[in-house]
Amino acid sequence: MPFTRRQFLTLSSVAGAAALLAGCRSPAELLAGLPPPAAWPSGRDPAWHALSRLTFGPRADERAHVAEIGLAAWIDEQLAPEQLDDRPADLRVRRFDILTMDSSLIFDVREANARRQLQQATLLRAVYSRRQLYELMVDFWSDHFSISTAKGDGAWLKPIDDRAVIRPHALGSFRDLLWASLHSPAMLQYLDNHANYRDAPNENYARELMELHTLGVQAGYTQGDVRELARCLTGWTVDQQLFRGQFRFDPAQHDDGAKQVLGLHIPAGGGQHDVEQVFEQLLAHPALPQQIARKLVRRFVADDPPPQLVAAVATTFTHTRGEIKAVLRTLLHAPEFATAPPKFKRPLHYLAGALRQLNANTNGGPPLLEALARMGQPLFMWPTPDGFPDATAAWSGGLLTRWQLALALATNALPGTSIDLDALMRAAGTREATGLLDRLGTLLLGAPLAPAVRGQVAGALAHTGDDRAAYVAALLAAPAYQWR
Amino acid sequence: MLNQRRTLLRVAAYRRVARAWPGWMPRMSFAPYQSAPRGDVLVCVFLRGAADVLNMVVPHGEAAYYSARAALAIPRPDDPRARADLRAIDLDGFFGLHPALAPLWPAWQARQLAFVHACGAPDESRSHFQAMELMERGVDSAAGPASGWLGRHLGSLSTGTRSPLRAIGLGERVPRALLGPVPAAALRSIADFHLGGDARAAEQLRGALAALYAGGDPLDTLGREALGLAELIEQLDPLGYRPAADARYPEGDFGMGLRQLAMLIKAEVGLEVACLDMGGWDTHVAQGGSQGWMAGLLAELGAGLAALHADLAAQADRLLVVVMSEFGRRVEENGGLGTDHGHGSMLLLLGGGVVGGRVYGRWPGLAPEQLVGPGDLAVTTDYRDVLGEIVARRLNNPRLAEVFPGYTPRFLEVVHQRAAVAGSSHSRRSSP
Repeated sequence: MPFTRRQFLTLSSVAGAAALLAGCRSPAELLAGLPPPAAWPSGRDPAWHALSRLTFGPRADERAHVAEIGLAAWIDEQLAPEQLDDRPADLRVRRFDILTMDSSLIFDVREANARRQLQQATLLRAVYSRRQLYELMVDFWSDHFSISTAKGDGAWLKPIDDRAVIRPHALGSFRDLLWASLHSPAMLQYLDNHANYRDAPNENYARELMELHTLGVQAGYTQGDVRELARCLTGWTVDQQLFRGQFRFDPAQHDDGAKQVLGLHIPAGGGQHDVEQVFEQLLAHPALPQQIARKLVRRFVADDPPPQLVAAVATTFTHTRGEIKAVLRTLLHAPEFATAPPKFKRPLHYLAGALRQLNANTNGGPPLLEALARMGQPLFMWPTPDGFPDATAAWSGGLLTRWQLALALATNALPGTSIDLDALMRAAGTREATGLLDRLGTLLLGAPLAPAVRGQVAGALAHTGDDRAAYVAALLAAPAYQWR
Repeated sequence: MLNQRRTLLRVAAYRRVARAWPGWMPRMSFAPYQSAPRGDVLVCVFLRGAADVLNMVVPHGEAAYYSARAALAIPRPDDPRARADLRAIDLDGFFGLHPALAPLWPAWQARQLAFVHACGAPDESRSHFQAMELMERGVDSAAGPASGWLGRHLGSLSTGTRSPLRAIGLGERVPRALLGPVPAAALRSIADFHLGGDARAAEQLRGALAALYAGGDPLDTLGREALGLAELIEQLDPLGYRPAADARYPEGDFGMGLRQLAMLIKAEVGLEVACLDMGGWDTHVAQGGSQGWMAGLLAELGAGLAALHADLAAQADRLLVVVMSEFGRRVEENGGLGTDHGHGSMLLLLGGGVVGGRVYGRWPGLAPEQLVGPGDLAVTTDYRDVLGEIVARRLNNPRLAEVFPGYTPRFLEVVHQRAAVAGSSHSRRSSP
């Protein structure tokens, strides 16, 4: 018997919000029906499954909250993030002035400092925000419209893109999101459009705008379309002088001749409006809903997106003209979501999840950011504009770096981050090896380890100096913890 | 003197390894790996971002090159208006090396360096991602196997080695080219490859991990490989590695990666294929000519390859380095003093088995009517012709149809047929 109600409640209170638990259905009842981990992860409890997918890691208090209000209501809550009081996260990121500085001041911050502040705030929000689905969508769009802070003025401009492009529209309309990204100085500079001149067009942004941001490489556009779109985008630039870092349309650098993009004739003399016409053309293109749907389904359901679900999500995208909440509703309420196979955690998910589930106290500082980089996900530093990969094969080679982190985290070896092992032990209510492993297993993996494995793990750890830390490390390093 | 020192170091490496040799490998100090039908150690360097090969190996005999690149061209080897150290280094009267690649000159003179110019893939998407993906998979189009060409090579050839270091990618993740039935490890840095913490805690965790990763899932296999690897590398003492005296690796990830590869190759840990990336080649703006952004990258590339070549002089007969990039860049420079995405690229080959001192490939020319697409170098040699020849002749793998499905490579005779290994009881010689 993995858990009593009292034990779960204590564990939950360790993890934060005991007040939320009043009147909830017995979590023991919820957990009792879990299959043995030998069968994991094929038939997990729906709430655990959903929380693993829709948060950076199922905290015990969040599990108790779902048990209380039900999964559907919880999803509704998450789709209305503005209604969720998020002071715990807001307070923790308030000291990062890069998040509010505008471009008239931001360039005074040292480059490495500017980059680190954005990385640190992002990690802290992943760990502490109650708006978990929103933060996951911010993560999704940050990959979709990926910008590396290692290029050009990215370290200063990406924080502005983060708050002016990605965050306002992460659950809004794709139309607004794309429009904002088109005017983003960070994006225009990252993809070299500031050097896209009338007499010397630079195709970089035009190409990625069609290939990565909207239509996909197989959509049937041609090299001619890329060239013509690049002409439309001439003169869309970023000020380098007085108003450094601000968007500017430079008519003197705009190619004002007639153009032909994706079959659309754009008459001469359109100026800045050339792009508006192509924008409508891109939004109306049938490849767009397909491409966005495929990427969303890949992120939330499976590396190989089920075609029927992609079609259903794309249909909602088309009917709602890209309303992201509606698109997500279709996705999250589909049977394919409920029965989705496990997804391999990306490093941010792995780290933030461990911190959440262990109720760590962290400042999200450099030791954690360096660990993320070692695991392969240095935030906002993916070198190419396609964003961090979203497939098991891209990440499964990095187990050792995860084990290193697991050990460091469990032994409180990372400055600025601590977990309260004593409190965890008190909550677990036992120091006896198998009972402790079972309770920590339920906290971290959703279910205890299979008895045979548990026995061997307990045997291997029998003589450690601090067995509590060793147990936590082993569970974070376990194969089951690599999946969500 | 030098050789003596090198031998001593090798012996020391052998001793360390022999002491630590895990059960799944034969004891190499007595039965070296050459007894298996193993070919060269292949080091694949991928220049991410489409390197401007026209400024790496410069067609200085082409007037069209100079008219298309008023600002970016590398001056002719005999251009009296340019400083001598900023001119191309003549290779054969028509092509010349970018001056920043000067460290490679000794390898060229030793005939262990060759280029295949106007070489590349049929894909004309000019998309970095599609081109890299197709090239790493070794296929023409989205159809075809999802695995990588190196992964299929490893999967289709049994060399008798079960080392977890048979294939590695130095970097954050396993490159696409290595994906396949044989697990490949991603190593960011060899020195980092241990569990960390205090020795006792790490030892305990290792025991727990062995129990946790004992299953039959692919992830279990990866976990066991990682454990084996960590154990092996802890014994290798990567921080104590000293390269040969005349080998000077450049600072930075690339040089560090090559240095670590050299250590693994000398330590005979069963390494067959290593992949290494170098980024930063997407030079749309302010690319520079003999000096500047790209020249800096080339200096790092040239110095790194030259150091590896010098460090492994004694092992040159089983070292083969291939440098590739997803496509080339537009012939005409753009208004931002950079170059846009183009088509034809180039391969660089370095090693004892290379028939070097030559630039291979039919040169299509750079006159406007000779270009393809929006003004790009044509591809006259499919990259798989060269890689296929290497797979067959240097890696001893005759099963080219599996490595490059749907394509029949035509050999250019750029590498020597690898000789059968002396003293081998069951080595196989393959014929293409």
